[in-house]
Amino acid sequence: MLKEIKALIQKDLLLDWRQRFSLASVILYLACTIFIVVIATQSNNPGLWNAVFWIVVLFVSSNAVAKSFIQESDRQRIYYYTLANPIAVLTSKYIYNTLILFVLSMIAFGLLTFFTINPVRLNGLFFLTLFLGATGFSIVFTFTSSIASAASNRNTLLAILSFPLLLPMLFTLLKLSQQSLGLITDTSYETDILILVAIDLLLVGVSFLLFPYLWKD
Amino acid sequence: MIDGWYWKFIGVGLIIYSMIVGMLVPLKPSIELVAPSAAKTGQQINLEVTGYNTNYSGSASIRAWLKDEEGNAVLSKNVTVINAQNLVANFDIPGFLPSSDRVVPFTLILDHPVDGAMVSPDAVFITQDSISKVEGQTLWQKDIINDLTLNTAFTFPSMSLIRETIRNTFYHVPLWFAMVIIFGAAVYWSIKYLRNPQSYQYDNRAVGFTSVGILFGILGTVTGALWARFVWGSYWSWDIKQIVTAVALLIYMAYFILRNAIEDDDRKGRVAAVYNIFAFVALIPLIFVVPRMMDSLHPGNGGNPGLGANDLDNSMRMIFYPAIIGWIIIGLWLANVRYRLLDIKYNLMNK
Repeated sequence: MLKEIKALIQKDLLLDWRQRFSLASVILYLACTIFIVVIATQSNNPGLWNAVFWIVVLFVSSNAVAKSFIQESDRQRIYYYTLANPIAVLTSKYIYNTLILFVLSMIAFGLLTFFTINPVRLNGLFFLTLFLGATGFSIVFTFTSSIASAASNRNTLLAILSFPLLLPMLFTLLKLSQQSLGLITDTSYETDILILVAIDLLLVGVSFLLFPYLWKD
Repeated sequence: MIDGWYWKFIGVGLIIYSMIVGMLVPLKPSIELVAPSAAKTGQQINLEVTGYNTNYSGSASIRAWLKDEEGNAVLSKNVTVINAQNLVANFDIPGFLPSSDRVVPFTLILDHPVDGAMVSPDAVFITQDSISKVEGQTLWQKDIINDLTLNTAFTFPSMSLIRETIRNTFYHVPLWFAMVIIFGAAVYWSIKYLRNPQSYQYDNRAVGFTSVGILFGILGTVTGALWARFVWGSYWSWDIKQIVTAVALLIYMAYFILRNAIEDDDRKGRVAAVYNIFAFVALIPLIFVVPRMMDSLHPGNGGNPGLGANDLDNSMRMIFYPAIIGWIIIGLWLANVRYRLLDIKYNLMNK
């Protein structure tokens, strides 16, 4: 199982390396969005920075993850499932997408800081929040993209299926991020971190239970 | 699922009972307004008390006290009744307060031989110029509030600001309870369908329950918004529970869009069932965890949500619980009609 996961992640890395332009297009999309948003807002307000940052990360994540299941053909997928355990396929996608999303949100942070200001006061907490955000987004987007891949007009469907599901996570992430920006002081932010981890575990567990029903045709 | 028709009568009966009794039972007599709200030590003050649902003129022996947090109290010299809703309580405020603070809030307590005791918390703020806690404690007495009358009539609690709108508890809150249970039932049938993909009826049941859940969610939001218009001042206040309901509705509307986006019937049912279960699990933190983390304008919130002792007293429970059961039964019935219709459609299409 672990070997399979490792091999699958390597396969995804290799595929993305060979098709560099597809990942590069996501990064370009990210840069364009940030550029537009910065020009449109023209503000150094940390509260606004926080909102803009998470909106950009959310939309870029949805675009980046959409590649994972939606852009694979049905036959390609069936082929993977015959080669490896489907759960291993799902797990590898979770891990790989978490990495990609973490890197993308770091790039978003770098670009936004470059163009505006760096309002982050608690660096450790902020990057932990980024990582937790990447994990949660990766789980929800990956699983809903595997749901959406069964239907037509997949990209719109991915957004309407996953954005409402992400809201509980987003509430907590925004709160933690505000904390790390020094916008609010909350002594019990460890609970928020635990809640995020608990939501992630819950969703991973349920998706493992449900995934076999999705891919069998 | 449930045979026979008797349960439908039970549901309708409970709803009618909750509507009639919930509307007709009066609120408990209480104090609406106390003026003036500030006084100084050594003064003689006339507190003008406006009551709600009271019958002050019906009794000659009304007593009034001012009391602080520790139970130090002073009895009013005399109480003059003006009419059923208004009276004037005359107090001699002693020269010192039993506290070392400059300004102390005092609670007004009225005892009416028929209406029972009424309390207006922090009704008067008394300012003292010279502070002496020891002398204050000799002037104010403990344990002089006695022989309070208990109002045994069947009434609902009368809370400031909320007042008559407390009756919304019987319509708005049960709809929300019923909605969660009905979405739960949809998950149950989704799981059943995943286990037996051949039985299209299970899929139809999940669809039926989900659509009724959406209906109840909309009704719950509307009844809540109407109530909020009067109590919070606007229909929508971005309260965390309002956001949660809106998100739940978005998620389940997406369920129907997903269904319509898949052409193959087998695949549609299976994928929709998977999404239904996944969505419910993602909703659980939203319904049960997030509202506890954030401040809400909802009664009983700002620390402990749910049904606190202040939100519900025994008289309200006697209508509230039947109303919950009633709405759940109505929901089952609606879903039942809906999925039977879907079954018939399916059979006609596949003949």
